Amino acid sequence: MLIIKKIFEKREITALAFLVILFLGVGLRNPDFMNAQSITTVLKGSVLYIFLAIGMTFVLLTGGIDVSVGGTLGIAAAVSATMIRGGTSVPVAIVVAILIGLLIGLMNGVGVAIVKVPAIIMTLGMLGIIRGVMIVYTDGKWVENLPDAFKMASQANFAHVNIYFILAIITTILVQFYFSKARTGKYFAAIGDNLEGSILVGIPAKKMIVIAYVLSGLCASIAGVIFASQVGFVTSNTGVDIEMVAIAACVLGGVSLSGGVGSVVGSSIGALIMTAINSALIFLKVPSFWNKSIQGTLLILIVVSDVLIHKYFEEKARKQRLSARAQCLDKSVEDSKDSKDAHISTESTFVGGNGQ
Amino acid sequence: MMHKIKQFKAKWEVSLVIFLIMEIILFGMMNPRFLKIKVLLNSANDFVTVAIIALFMTFVIITGGIDISMGSVVGLSSVVMGLLWQELGFNIWMALVIAIIVGAICGAFNGYLIAFVGVQAMVATLGTSFLYAGASLVIIGFSGISAAEGIGGFPDSFRELGHGNLGGIPSSLLIFAFLIIVAYLLLHKTTYGRRVYLTGINRKAAEFSGINTKLIILSAHMLVGMGAAISGMYITSYLSSSRADHGATLTLSVITAVVLGGTAITGGEGSIIGTALASVIIGLMTLGLQMAGLSTQYVGIGIGILLVVSVAIKSYFSGGKVFSKIKRRFLPEKS
Repeated sequence: MLIIKKIFEKREITALAFLVILFLGVGLRNPDFMNAQSITTVLKGSVLYIFLAIGMTFVLLTGGIDVSVGGTLGIAAAVSATMIRGGTSVPVAIVVAILIGLLIGLMNGVGVAIVKVPAIIMTLGMLGIIRGVMIVYTDGKWVENLPDAFKMASQANFAHVNIYFILAIITTILVQFYFSKARTGKYFAAIGDNLEGSILVGIPAKKMIVIAYVLSGLCASIAGVIFASQVGFVTSNTGVDIEMVAIAACVLGGVSLSGGVGSVVGSSIGALIMTAINSALIFLKVPSFWNKSIQGTLLILIVVSDVLIHKYFEEKARKQRLSARAQCLDKSVEDSKDSKDAHISTESTFVGGNGQ
Repeated sequence: MMHKIKQFKAKWEVSLVIFLIMEIILFGMMNPRFLKIKVLLNSANDFVTVAIIALFMTFVIITGGIDISMGSVVGLSSVVMGLLWQELGFNIWMALVIAIIVGAICGAFNGYLIAFVGVQAMVATLGTSFLYAGASLVIIGFSGISAAEGIGGFPDSFRELGHGNLGGIPSSLLIFAFLIIVAYLLLHKTTYGRRVYLTGINRKAAEFSGINTKLIILSAHMLVGMGAAISGMYITSYLSSSRADHGATLTLSVITAVVLGGTAITGGEGSIIGTALASVIIGLMTLGLQMAGLSTQYVGIGIGILLVVSVAIKSYFSGGKVFSKIKRRFLPEKS
């Protein structure tokens, strides 16, 4: 039982197992899904979502939420694409896009941490503003005809793996190390777990929350540049509803929306799952109109089973504690009959409290 | 203390009214056509879809929850109705009633997940928004209707729902007024309404005082589902077509209307009148910006700013830190 509990507590493992089962199951039906090309397609497609999920993880860990990332992605893509098409060098365009992401993140962070606007309100309002600004900027037109060199960069491989995907993996690993090894990395989860407590132990909570939103904006703007490079054009609808996919990916990977729980590896695996489902449906020859309902059903199933499993173990622990307490009560009654002193009963409570 | 809070609440609604009047005067100066009674009355046609959902969303947000799936429910109910009428040959009014029931079921499922299973409101409705939007796409996909065109050609009696008028007052305004009265009575004049408030203020205390908070939360979500379906029916009638993407962009406006109306996003506080006023403010702003020659896309900027600023102002009244610091710095004598 303990092993099962451990496995369920390590959500990254269940998520990874699910991903493998998904590939094997679909591969059994249609072996084409298992070949290198389709796997490469999934990996390539997931890069966007991995970046968004990494940024989102920072925010979710602090107990907030950032629904403006779709807008940030859209405007970063539009601005960088327009600049590159206009002849600006690619690094400059990327820097500008990233600056935009940082600025949006900073505004979100200041609004949430210092002005104390609830996160969902602040970022939802910001989403509306960014979308409007993006339409104004692009004049409602598509940004097309990007230079080939910029588009070809998304096809570049290193050791047969797409270079953007390698970038995403390296970022994930670095962030994971930051979360697990660095002192400040643990602050995010601590703030989400218990805000007042973290302030009491001297964590600069406001600063860390602002940083979380800034990083989320940063990741979203990087995703925007990658989008422009991968797709090769930017429509005025770029990034609509993508924040929902990013949040869903994090939840799939075990990040709790109430903060304090989760890892960036889990979110990245969640992002992979969200992409893999879409292409799995293509290989299963399921009409594409099923995509959304299957994603939704899966999300609900995973969240519900998560809650139920959590409840089950909590109930079990509670029962154990209660029965231990009852036992030691019985014992203390017997003890008093035997006119022994009470300290044995306190000792047994202590043992019982540890879950025997 | 209680008196003070009451005063503040009344003030919030008064300031909404002042804001509304200022808005009308401002847009009237920019474009005199804006002030025509007919234009103002007909503007209800556009904002009533947001307003209907916002009225019932007030219940959910007062209980401390949130529902982001209502946009999908609008599309789903619209598609269900069109399908029942066209493909299965139902009477149009029968189809309408069934579509509203479908909306209620969708809401009830949200409520069940949140209250009985214990999933966070945001996550549960995120999942169901995928599910409902997906379901309407599946229905459209199976019936072989073009997703872009949707189902059209409804009978005139149904189109009257969105286009008709009674003594010069457009039907949209009548529906809006009727639902305001229903929601007002339900929230402010019944024990059910008091229970909704208490659940939002302190769920444990409500539970201990014998209120079945799970049922309260479930029913509040059911109301939003029904509101979304009614809104879906209205928009289907108004645009004479049933499509899956009718409600896709409503989330921002609906939540802005509720929050601007003075409902605390943390629950336990809010009023129907405030929400109704805020819906009108947003609706007129949309119309005014359009009449001032700006495209619809600019409206999102306006609504977004309105949402953030209104919450920041509320944060000022409830002692947000930045403002109190600024106040202390600049007005040292008063404090």
